[in-house]
Amino acid sequence: MGFFVTTLIFIMVGIIASLMVRICCNRGPSANLLHSTLVITATACCWVMWAIVYLAQMNPLIVPILNEVE
Amino acid sequence: MGDGGGGRGGCCPPMDLFRSEPMQLVQLIIPIESAHHTISYLGDLGLIQFKDLNVEKSPFQRTYAAQIKKCAEMARKLRFFKEQMSKAGLSPSAKIMMRGDIDMDDLEVKLGELEAELVEINANGEKLQRAYSELAEYKLVLHKAGEFFYSIRSSATAQQREIEAHSISEESVDTPLLLEQEMSTDLSKQVKLGFLAGLVPRVKSMAFERILFRATRGNVFLRQSAVEDPVTDPVSGEKIEKNVFVVFYSGEKVKNKILKICEAFGANRYSFPEDLGKQAQMITEVSGRLSELKTTIDVGLLHRGNLLQTIGDQFEQWNLLVRKEKSIYHTLNMLSIDVTKKCLVAEGWSPTFATKQIQDALQRATFDSNSQVGAIFQVLHTIESPPTYFRTNKFTSAFQEIVDAYGVAKYQEANPGVFTIVTFPFLFAVMFGDWGHGLCLLLATLFFIIREKKLSNQKLGDITEMTFGGRYVILMMALFSIYTGLIYNEFFSVPFELFGPSAYACRDLSCRDASTAGLIKVRRTYPFGVDPVWHGSRSELPFLNSLKMKMSILIGVAQMNLGIILSYFNAKFFQNSLNIWFQFVPQMIFLNSLFGYLSVLIIVKWCTGSQADLYHIMIYMFLSPTDDLGENQLFIGQKTGQIVLLLLALVAVPWMLLPKPFLMKKQHEERHQSQLYVPLQSTEDSFQLDTSHDSHDHEEFEFGEVFVHQLIHTIEFVLGAVSNTASYLRLWALSLAHSELSSVFYEKVLLLAWGFNNVIILIVGIIVFICATIGVLLVMETLSAFLHALRLHWVEFQNKFYEGDGYKFCPFSFALLSEEDD
Repeated sequence: MGFFVTTLIFIMVGIIASLMVRICCNRGPSANLLHSTLVITATACCWVMWAIVYLAQMNPLIVPILNEVE
Repeated sequence: MGDGGGGRGGCCPPMDLFRSEPMQLVQLIIPIESAHHTISYLGDLGLIQFKDLNVEKSPFQRTYAAQIKKCAEMARKLRFFKEQMSKAGLSPSAKIMMRGDIDMDDLEVKLGELEAELVEINANGEKLQRAYSELAEYKLVLHKAGEFFYSIRSSATAQQREIEAHSISEESVDTPLLLEQEMSTDLSKQVKLGFLAGLVPRVKSMAFERILFRATRGNVFLRQSAVEDPVTDPVSGEKIEKNVFVVFYSGEKVKNKILKICEAFGANRYSFPEDLGKQAQMITEVSGRLSELKTTIDVGLLHRGNLLQTIGDQFEQWNLLVRKEKSIYHTLNMLSIDVTKKCLVAEGWSPTFATKQIQDALQRATFDSNSQVGAIFQVLHTIESPPTYFRTNKFTSAFQEIVDAYGVAKYQEANPGVFTIVTFPFLFAVMFGDWGHGLCLLLATLFFIIREKKLSNQKLGDITEMTFGGRYVILMMALFSIYTGLIYNEFFSVPFELFGPSAYACRDLSCRDASTAGLIKVRRTYPFGVDPVWHGSRSELPFLNSLKMKMSILIGVAQMNLGIILSYFNAKFFQNSLNIWFQFVPQMIFLNSLFGYLSVLIIVKWCTGSQADLYHIMIYMFLSPTDDLGENQLFIGQKTGQIVLLLLALVAVPWMLLPKPFLMKKQHEERHQSQLYVPLQSTEDSFQLDTSHDSHDHEEFEFGEVFVHQLIHTIEFVLGAVSNTASYLRLWALSLAHSELSSVFYEKVLLLAWGFNNVIILIVGIIVFICATIGVLLVMETLSAFLHALRLHWVEFQNKFYEGDGYKFCPFSFALLSEEDD
């Protein structure tokens, strides 16, 4: 549940960032495509990293064993 | 083809920077009278790379050799001025005052005049300086020698009388009769002693004394007195410690010997008047002359200073002008001269978008040089490979340089630089992950970026220059590092609960089992990043290692797939369907059926929380695929699925290797067949014959070579699939090293210092912590992670699709001139 919500948030952030870049530096279609590609790649990288760390913690096989309390 | 012929497939809309600019080979025919102006305006434009059409000619045979010699002369004079200015401690003013157009001939004359004047001033100055030093030495001799002259003179006379008395009493049979007579007459006369006074360098004074003594058999009397301050030697111009000496001698031969010894030792002699009155007179005279000389020298220096100042004001402008002229003539020398038609022919590469600009420049040049005839611009067709030109801005140029450092892209192949802009800082950040350190990097690079304009005009040291050039790369690296730092939950290795409560809690209220069986997951997963409870626990490393290793594999497989997909786009663009079906497809199948499958297994295991052993699954997939999976079963149909994937992978290997060489041979034969008909038709038209011969020669097809090439490519890919995937594990390794180092510095330095409850130890601890963090983590780790991220891009990512055997576009441009000389 939390996974899909956050994934949706990432998608929204990606789209918004893409639109903002399109608005603030509009320099012709080929340049816009480059900017969009960069933003989408960055968002995808960030999401991949978050998703990996989240999925790894969803069903843990080992649990934290604390140190001896001094 | 040079201008994009050969049909480029447009499967997708064009993207900036993804493929290099389309280039064309242009030919310009320029009338001689407007040649200089034309090249000058084209240099301002900076969009043509001229080809050297006079390669066979030596530098002296070229058309404009004389002009280049002139420019070189002027450059030498300017260098001389710069040397003189730096000796005088002045530096040329950085501002370039544009005082209108300067004619080169006028400049040449002016530079010649200035040089002559400067040389004269220098020579005069030297002469005056020498005279001044000599007079100063003379004054010293007068002072010092005057002090002890009379006392030593009397003792010298006494000694001489003694020596003579001795020699008479030591009469022997050998002494000739005549000498006896002479000596007896001498006794009655007044002892006549000559003397010499002067200065000798202190280091040589002992040797001087010794040699004088030996050469004259002890028949001289020498007295030395040290001068306190170092004296400027007239000959060498340096300050040397000297001694004033006075030597008394008798006889002409002794005098000559002493003179020669003085010369040999560089001892300067000065005439010393015996009379006391004359001495005083001499001293006043010399003092007067000294002060006169001083004023003259000062005036001279002032004049020289003014001259250098005026030169310094205009120096930069002249320098630039001379360099421009020299480069213009070098370029003109590359053009072939058509003597009968009184025009120059230029050939060069330029981007297709620059056509209009070049034609404008040509028109302006024609107008400005009042030429009757305009220059002609035409595009040539050629099969030569054009240079690669990417239009980058200050942000993308650093990333493009990183890619170019490995190899410049072939003309119009897919540029990995586009993705490098994001993936390079991202991979760096995966290895660097600490948002505290990321913030430090961000502050450092913001400093460079904010003072960008000022720093780009200054001359920086080598390392600062590199850091400044890469400021935007470091900015991206810092931003991504802050993100991954938040995900790894490390702020100088300290975790925080920023995104909600930790998911773990004790099994029961007393927390007895916390250090044996551990905590349990009671709440939902920590929403963003690694749960803060892990840091410092005993099972931290097994958990993080497993997480980071699997993350590295997943990221690696993703990046390699991206590389193979880029090779698809390349094949589509160059319309090479062989590459699509017999390279791209089998490569995708091979990589994904093995390592893509591994990635899927990792994700399924995480999602289901199964205890399956992935090592076991992968290894036994190869060793005994038909065995029952048992407790390693992650999903239904896994066994059949694995057998299918294994078969696909096995089929993919000969699919990559065998068909392509045979099909390439067939293609070549088809082309060859169609060309055999050409010579029958066009025997009169020699051009066509030549080109067909050319293309035939270029496409010699060696089947053996092609097959071996394909074999190497296949083996490289197959073995590379395993080794490259493993190579991505460095993402885990460096990330582990970084977090461990960071943790050690925090716990063993800072916390230790805090534990002593002593302010001084705390301050010392903080200083050590800061130095260690900056030196080891911010500098060394940054460089290390930078290097490894670079390697991952250059090797693991780019060897899937990049050929990188092009050459870079270096246009003739005045802007690039100023960078290369200094």
